[in-house]
Amino acid sequence: MLSEWLVDAALLDGFPVHGTSIPGVAQRTGSTTYYVELYTERGAAEPVFSLYPVPGALDVLVAPEFLEVGRMIELGFVSPARTTVIASTHRLLSIHEKIATGRAIYPQEGLQRAAETAARRLVTFDALAQAREHGTEANALLLGAVAGAGVLPVSEDAFRKAIERKNVAVASNLAGFELGMRLVRDAGAAGRVSGEPAAGASSLNEAFALEAPAAGSPDTLPADIRAVVEAMPAEVREIVGRGVHRLVDYQDLRYAREYLERLGPFVPAAGAAGARVELGGVVGRYLALWMSYEDAVRVADLKTRASRFARIRESARAGKAEIVVTDYLKPDLDEIWGVLPDRLVRPFARWAERRWPHGRPTLGQTVRTTTVSGFLRVWLLAWLKPLRRISYRAREEHARIARWLEAVRTAAALDVGLAVEVARAGQLVKGYGDVRRRMLAVHEQILAAVLSAAQLERRGGASLAVSTALAARLRQLVLAGPDGEARVGEIAAATLARLQAGDARGALEPLSAR
Amino acid sequence: MGERSFAEDVKQLSYGAGDILRGEGILAITKALLQSGVSYVGGYPGAPISHLLDVLADANESLLEPMGIYFEMSGSEAAAAALLGASINYPMRGAVTWKSVVGTNVASDALSHVASAGVLGGSLIVIGEDYGEGASILQERTHAAALKSSVPLLDPRNSLQSFARFVEEGFGLSEACNQPVMFSIRIRACHMRGTLTCKDNVPPRISMRARLRDPSFSLERINLPPFTYAMEARKFTERLPAAQRYIVEHRLNEHWPGPESHIGIVMQGGLWNTVARGLHVLGIADVYGRTPVPLLVLNALHPLVPEELIGFLRGKQHVFVVEEGMPNFIERELKAFAHDARLDVEIHGKDLLSPHGEYVPALVVGGLRKFLTLAPPTAVSASTIEDHFAALTGHAERARAALPQPIDKRPPSFCTGCPERPLFSAMKILRTQEPALGDTHVAADIGCTTFSTQAPFNVGNSVLGYGMGLASAGAVAPHFGKRVISVMGDGGFWHNGLTNGVASAVYNKQDSVLVIVDNKYAAATGQHHNPSTGTNARNEPTGMTIPQALRGVGVKWIKTIDSYDIGHSLRTLREALTTRVPGLKVIIAEGECMLERQRRIRPLVRQQLAAGRTVEQPRFGVDPDVCTGDHSCMRLNGCPSLTLRDSPDPLREDPIAHVDASCVGCGVCGEVAHAAVLCPSFYEVKTISNPGWWTRLVSRVRAAVIARLAHA
Repeated sequence: MLSEWLVDAALLDGFPVHGTSIPGVAQRTGSTTYYVELYTERGAAEPVFSLYPVPGALDVLVAPEFLEVGRMIELGFVSPARTTVIASTHRLLSIHEKIATGRAIYPQEGLQRAAETAARRLVTFDALAQAREHGTEANALLLGAVAGAGVLPVSEDAFRKAIERKNVAVASNLAGFELGMRLVRDAGAAGRVSGEPAAGASSLNEAFALEAPAAGSPDTLPADIRAVVEAMPAEVREIVGRGVHRLVDYQDLRYAREYLERLGPFVPAAGAAGARVELGGVVGRYLALWMSYEDAVRVADLKTRASRFARIRESARAGKAEIVVTDYLKPDLDEIWGVLPDRLVRPFARWAERRWPHGRPTLGQTVRTTTVSGFLRVWLLAWLKPLRRISYRAREEHARIARWLEAVRTAAALDVGLAVEVARAGQLVKGYGDVRRRMLAVHEQILAAVLSAAQLERRGGASLAVSTALAARLRQLVLAGPDGEARVGEIAAATLARLQAGDARGALEPLSAR
Repeated sequence: MGERSFAEDVKQLSYGAGDILRGEGILAITKALLQSGVSYVGGYPGAPISHLLDVLADANESLLEPMGIYFEMSGSEAAAAALLGASINYPMRGAVTWKSVVGTNVASDALSHVASAGVLGGSLIVIGEDYGEGASILQERTHAAALKSSVPLLDPRNSLQSFARFVEEGFGLSEACNQPVMFSIRIRACHMRGTLTCKDNVPPRISMRARLRDPSFSLERINLPPFTYAMEARKFTERLPAAQRYIVEHRLNEHWPGPESHIGIVMQGGLWNTVARGLHVLGIADVYGRTPVPLLVLNALHPLVPEELIGFLRGKQHVFVVEEGMPNFIERELKAFAHDARLDVEIHGKDLLSPHGEYVPALVVGGLRKFLTLAPPTAVSASTIEDHFAALTGHAERARAALPQPIDKRPPSFCTGCPERPLFSAMKILRTQEPALGDTHVAADIGCTTFSTQAPFNVGNSVLGYGMGLASAGAVAPHFGKRVISVMGDGGFWHNGLTNGVASAVYNKQDSVLVIVDNKYAAATGQHHNPSTGTNARNEPTGMTIPQALRGVGVKWIKTIDSYDIGHSLRTLREALTTRVPGLKVIIAEGECMLERQRRIRPLVRQQLAAGRTVEQPRFGVDPDVCTGDHSCMRLNGCPSLTLRDSPDPLREDPIAHVDASCVGCGVCGEVAHAAVLCPSFYEVKTISNPGWWTRLVSRVRAAVIARLAHA
């Protein structure tokens, strides 16, 4: 549509113009390019049009998605001598960015900087967010941006007429066109359109109706907790503040105090600096997340909050419409009896672990949480919260947490840098059911391998470079996805074998190679 | 039907002399067919020529039928090529079209027969050369097929006027040499927009309104020995020489002499625009392609005319051949001509250009620069050319280095809400959870289903051609320790799969599982109708079904599943892989193409909303505080609307799952979470717009109860 508007507008203004595209299978979510050539001499005879852009000879690049700017830079199309880049900063994540276990999203700020370097002039704004906000289409905004940037000899009116002639959603497209033009004009000569959040944040953060837990608004907390948090270094304080709020929300104040007690030994006093501070932050972060492990009670609690229904209404743009929410719940055996007291279910749990080492039986159900009966079914479960502290799941999780903290402590006694990497293994603890069991297993596998490596290195009297690198490498492998995860055992074993043979350099080399 | 609506284009097809048609290259070709007096048009859809068939399907009732022109969407390219048989015996013009090279491969049996017998009426094959950027098929070119069948091959310069001219010349050429003629057009040329000054449409002399009465018979036109020997002789003694005469007399190839007479460039017509632009950016041509360097533009690639080429070579020291594809037939023939004529000219081509790949400007400009610095023109110095080249490319390295990391590829994938996705979710779940059964050889097929081989599924170990999946499992199944699976779309099933796949597997007692993904259309080409869609391209009901066809060829074990029901799919796959029933087990996974479904439903929903009627619209969501960001769902789903965003709690560093506003509520998110036992994060929200009084009342009561009980 965008390229058709451009061609039509140029024709209306009497410029020789042509456009081409490659749709087809490439259109099925692949990247599609459209190319328009316009000869700047109005009324001239038609020149020989090229069907392709010539790298380095492109005057305007319009990218409705930000990564595509990078692709065009990679292909040499964007020239600092010629190319004005008009791009929407929003991202349609590629499948490879989505399937990693950790964060594999292309670094947006780096891309923005590269575009600034590569282009003659760069105009960026989140066209999709703007379009949604104003009930128009991103393409219309981009057309307006092209007009507003003044990079084509085509008149504004010709663009407007082209939109009218297409006769598709004329009013909203015209509104989008005007908005795009205004945004670019207001932004002035170059750069980011003003009023935009930093690119990194804008692309992934569609406004949350749900408030993020307040960043340590300490006034609401009792004085003893406040005192503990305030005695911490500034860098740690925010994380711990969030952690405390999360755990109060999860259980109660007593539980939050327990968090601070466990965390205490890892956090230096305010004013400290360096790796000890970093360690405090890392342990503070993952300990809070782990202690608020998502059991059935937590899920039930989150699913039956009034704020949740408000959020769903808003995200569905329900307005005056009614909504029916259906939840897809499928707890497995562990999650079901996990909420019951430890003493009651432990014998059964042991037996069940042997009986079903993988894939425990499950109780699949779809619950309509907006009906009274469906709501009650979930809501009643949340009432088991007081039992949580003595539940089977609590014993299991807290035992694992203790093992993790013990490993961090052992590492810290050897080297704080190593301890930071060991603590970071806490990032791997996520997921539900089998996924979580798998992640926990690989988490503990990494702890064991890294501590063994540390012992071997210490015995040799060398630095702890190998163990530290091993911890980082194994974590990154798991975060890269299942293929990486599958290599954890092999790489850990190879590293330990080399260390045993006294070949620290040989052990380090494959770990640092990315 | 079809991906777009063509009402405006249909109108333009009826334009008369002097009217100006505005549209894509392929529309100009379609119009030129009507200006050439064709009696019939057929073909098999596929990018980049689908539009020709789509627009004629829409024009059938209003334009073609009144003119007596027969139009069909053929069952395959072979069936389309066989249509040209009508022109063997009767002086009628006809045209067929398909995507090449794959379509030409399928068509080649019929094509060889037509080319051997020869034609009386002009016969044109519009070849959509799906080669290079944006191509969806293996990379081969059609040139060799034209050579081996002695079929003249046109590759005209890119402009709508040129396309129309060469369609008309194509019919003339065909009648002059009694051979069918191939008219090749590249992907981008099909989709280039421009203008065409029209002529009047010409009603065919033989048509459905002026029918034939007497059958024509001549043994000389029957492909049996001894007549085949005479036919072969005639190709080389009569037909190709006649074609060469026509090419010269009608000046199909264009020679632009220039003052730099010691050098010259020979090119395929379709590359003329790129060469002219290349010369321009190197500073040796103006925007109109006027250059002091002599050019020979070969709009007819086969047969070449020796006198024409030798004439161009004579007196030159260096000649550059810009010829896409291997083998480099033109370059080699040129060298042979130069040798035979004892000319002292150096001929360059692939030595200065890439042997493979589409000749995009980056390649052509690089090659021209090498040629012009090796054989410099007198008017422009080599350093000027180098300066121009540096201005185009000097920045590239620095710009690339500024990127923080290489850009991820964006492989094509299933659309939002696609019914094929959940099937491959099921197959991947089975492979992971029950490797003894599910981790087996999967023979994939051509069509949208091929995307299963890409991330996140990576389901499919081989792709062997349209409808060939099951056939390709033939020699794998008996050698495999577990049952193998073949996948086929409904398009592939009717194209080739029923006979070469199913009938052959039943006949040979292949013990394996075939999954037919029935989304009701040949979806990859643009939702074209196939025999089980219900109606044909002319919108006449067909009454053909896949189960009927399967039973007809003797398949006993047939199960039909709803592809969105992953649990049922898993059970059925498991059953098919374990049952003691011998032979071929066929699962038909049904679910309408979501693109087509949305195209139908969206305007309907808009209408109903505007009319104040009750409308239910489902979509999915993720509770951001319940999702822990392990991304397991991504690896089993891959829907474009299922994406990532930052967690509302900054403590959680990894991004969490998020369903964006493009969700169509197909339910696969929830199904996957259930079937693979992932997490409780997904929910479906159904919005009921304009609810009735009862719905409102019930909702109010529910909301009141929940509001009293719910935590803040």
